[in-house]
Amino acid sequence: MNVRIEQVGNEHDELVLIRCRAVTDEVREIESFVKSRAGSLTGTSDAKQYEIAVTDICYIESVDGKTFLYTGDGVYETAYRIYELEELLKAKHFLRISKPMLVNLMKIRSIQPAFNGRFTAVLHSGEKVIISRNYVKQLKAALKGE
Amino acid sequence: MEFKRFLINKLILFFMLTTLITVAVVLTGSAFDPEARFGYKEMLIPIEYAALCMLPTLVTWSKRELSAKAMLLRKAVMLVLIEGVILLIAFTSSVIDTSRIEVVLAIAGSVFVIFVLANLFVWLKDAAEAKKLNRELEAFQKHHA
Repeated sequence: MNVRIEQVGNEHDELVLIRCRAVTDEVREIESFVKSRAGSLTGTSDAKQYEIAVTDICYIESVDGKTFLYTGDGVYETAYRIYELEELLKAKHFLRISKPMLVNLMKIRSIQPAFNGRFTAVLHSGEKVIISRNYVKQLKAALKGE
Repeated sequence: MEFKRFLINKLILFFMLTTLITVAVVLTGSAFDPEARFGYKEMLIPIEYAALCMLPTLVTWSKRELSAKAMLLRKAVMLVLIEGVILLIAFTSSVIDTSRIEVVLAIAGSVFVIFVLANLFVWLKDAAEAKKLNRELEAFQKHHA
């Protein structure tokens, strides 16, 4: 597949166009990547596809090899692996808080002490997620902008 | 949790226990045997007891992150083991009068109070850390809003 980048003036909308003979998984993957960079992720719920704005996602969890996006009012499955999303959404204020979970720092209402050196993040949606002791150091660094 | 961090936490707990056991010995001793006099050797008792109490704390070690429920269960097992260790020492000691039920109850009660206080201190430390994190979170969200 050839890649061509064309610069346009302010009078034009920016566009990523994929010209392909067939819409394969690879093409879908590229589409999904471009959308995530633009600020949205593709998620499925009840066999329907949805475009979810990254800013609407409260947290992301990996369960039994599947990855789920949790917004305030829905749960969507995504094809991405948790480590891929960690890398992809680093600049969007998402942080790993336990082995299977990423949280949107902008969606945390408060942090409370949990049992035995761990913390609980209370989200604006009212949900509570555990911040593992092993990731507290990274959380402190992220909040300080390091 | 890393084993190194686990050991550091246990070392902090050891010094905390040494202090709390010293206080418990002074309080229970003053109540049940105020005339007793000790030599230098007995000054090591709180350190020895704290060291022995550290052994049952190993049941809380886990390489993977334990759930709150699992940790609570292990803490309960740990308390039972510590009570067992301390009472075993008391019953085999020639200095402690275990024929008096109030002495045995005071020892068991002291262990429980020390256990609660040690966990309370850890929780207070975490609460202070959470307060600091909340301040930093608020600043972070304001900056990126």
